[in-house]
Amino acid sequence: MSTPAAPVRDPAWSLSRSAIGLWVAEGVIGALVWVAVVTAVLTLVPESALPSPLRWALVAFAVLEAGVTISIRPWVRYRVHRWEVTGEAVYTLTGWLTRTWTLVPISRIQTVDVTRGVLQQLFGLATVAVLTASSQGTVRVLHLEADVAQRVADDLARRAELVRDEAT
Amino acid sequence: MTEPAVDVGGDRAPGDRPLRASPRVVLVHTATFRQARQLVPVLIPVAALVGLDDGLLTVVVMAVVVTALSLAASVLSWWRFGYADGQTAVVVTRGLLARSVRTVPNDRIRGVEVEAPPLHRLLGLVRVRIDAAAGSVGANEEELVIDGVPRAEGDRLRARLLARRPAGAPATGDDARPEPAEEEIARFDPRWLLYAPLVGSYLVVPLAAVGTLFRLVQELPDAVVPDVTGPEPSPHLLVIGLVAAVPLLALTAVVGAAVVTWGYRLVRRGGSLVAVRGLLTRRHTELEVDRIRGGTLSEGLGMRWARAARVNALVTGLGQANRRGQLLPLGPRAEALRLLGRLVEDPGPLTGHPRAALRRRLARALAAGLLVTAVGAWTAAALGWWWVPVAGVVLTVLGVPMGIGRYRALGHAAGPRSFSVRSGWLVREQAVLQRRAVVGWQVRQSVLQRRAGLATVVACVGAGSGGYAAVDMAAGEVPGFTAAASSGTWAGTLAP
Repeated sequence: MSTPAAPVRDPAWSLSRSAIGLWVAEGVIGALVWVAVVTAVLTLVPESALPSPLRWALVAFAVLEAGVTISIRPWVRYRVHRWEVTGEAVYTLTGWLTRTWTLVPISRIQTVDVTRGVLQQLFGLATVAVLTASSQGTVRVLHLEADVAQRVADDLARRAELVRDEAT
Repeated sequence: MTEPAVDVGGDRAPGDRPLRASPRVVLVHTATFRQARQLVPVLIPVAALVGLDDGLLTVVVMAVVVTALSLAASVLSWWRFGYADGQTAVVVTRGLLARSVRTVPNDRIRGVEVEAPPLHRLLGLVRVRIDAAAGSVGANEEELVIDGVPRAEGDRLRARLLARRPAGAPATGDDARPEPAEEEIARFDPRWLLYAPLVGSYLVVPLAAVGTLFRLVQELPDAVVPDVTGPEPSPHLLVIGLVAAVPLLALTAVVGAAVVTWGYRLVRRGGSLVAVRGLLTRRHTELEVDRIRGGTLSEGLGMRWARAARVNALVTGLGQANRRGQLLPLGPRAEALRLLGRLVEDPGPLTGHPRAALRRRLARALAAGLLVTAVGAWTAAALGWWWVPVAGVVLTVLGVPMGIGRYRALGHAAGPRSFSVRSGWLVREQAVLQRRAVVGWQVRQSVLQRRAGLATVVACVGAGSGGYAAVDMAAGEVPGFTAAASSGTWAGTLAP
């Protein structure tokens, strides 16, 4: 998604389409938590302590939140999120309202991790985390197909070994 | 990293056993109740149970018991503590019941700090802190402490642990025999103490002390506290008290600064920078020059007015960077700049950020005040609280210089070998870094920044706080700056 004032180039590759399903599932789980909380508040807190306009506001907020996280955010995220491994660097773009581009040169990679959360396993996805000496210089490529993630991680680890300089 | 302890001392003389701290440290720890401090929560309910009815006798008995316990605990922990500095690693063994053996390979040692608190100094002892932070792990766990060795042994350890990497450097760390390569870079000037009342952190200390005193008084049983509730103090007395408090506060700030920074001296010795400072507790910090990637120049609001500054070195893999990296605790700005120039090449004058950044700074600075004013308008109408909108207006007006100040602080520069970013208003911090320090770039853009054509660029660095940001830079300048400020060609990936 190119915008007129994008500061830098966007990475070339998009994520697996299964990521949309995963984000929707996350949204549904979040919405269920909201439903539980709102139901608990509405039934347990007496009318006198929480006047009815506030009750309606709470319900409206929960419905709106669920609507956005289930039906809008996954698709926006899918359009925004991108990644790329070039000859010299790993490059990602994440976020949906605030966008974050992160670039890490392969020569400065310290560790490459592949993690698979419970939900990710259901959708056959995995996250590649590329760590550097800086606590802020961590690149996460979210939600790649598991076999792609493993290949990328192996490739990065091997190339980091070859070109590694001081790494700090 | 987890070599067995036997191998470590393999090249030492056969039968060489782990070393012990000096027995004199038992005295220090007994006197400071170091180990017995944990017993205090147990003793209080015991005291409550027994009661303090017998008065003096009970107190004396308790004091004796606590001292005896403290002595026993100190002896035990001294007896169970051992350390060995082998050719490849340092091993520290400790623990009363559960034994713990920590092995730190020598090539992971980032710095050695020798400090001498007052009691230690009295007995000719020092405490050696060995910093072995690894990469992005910033936890306190990474520190080895060898407490209570004689001064000469402390100097021997420091010299031995640090002299190993620059090959061939003779390990004579004795202060009495100055090494030939020693070069003094900066030296303490007592006049610098006059800056202290303008530094927030030194002003906070006496205030915190007063706060603690008040809390203590409140927690004491009523019978003990003398009755001071005389007639209500008159407003005149209050004003006089406040006026008297100002010089007192300034004085305590100066004293506090003197305690921390007295006798400060920065020396380059071989491949390390050595900083010494402290009046009561002498601190001796050693940083490896090869690991220095740059430095920060911080100036608080009051310090800017008096043209004072402080300099921290940014060293890769150094834990507790704020304390350890401190090269100039407090001094004139010119001196700070000279020192920073020795750490890293000056990248040239800073480029300011676009006007849109000023609008964003102002909007943020004014938002709180405007909100209070709006709420205040309602409270004034509904409840008659006229002071709320007044406070809101005052806040809003104060927000204007703050927003402008924050905008003026923003800037960035890229030179042939280094680059710099600056931000902050209450404490303005300028980071100057070598180009090779950058291990990654992060570019952030919120919806509002996108509409204003701005972006925030963070240089990810394996030193200091981990990232230094150029806030609200013009979006179009980002690819040029990142390419100019990192070594190699990889940052070209960002160019559209």
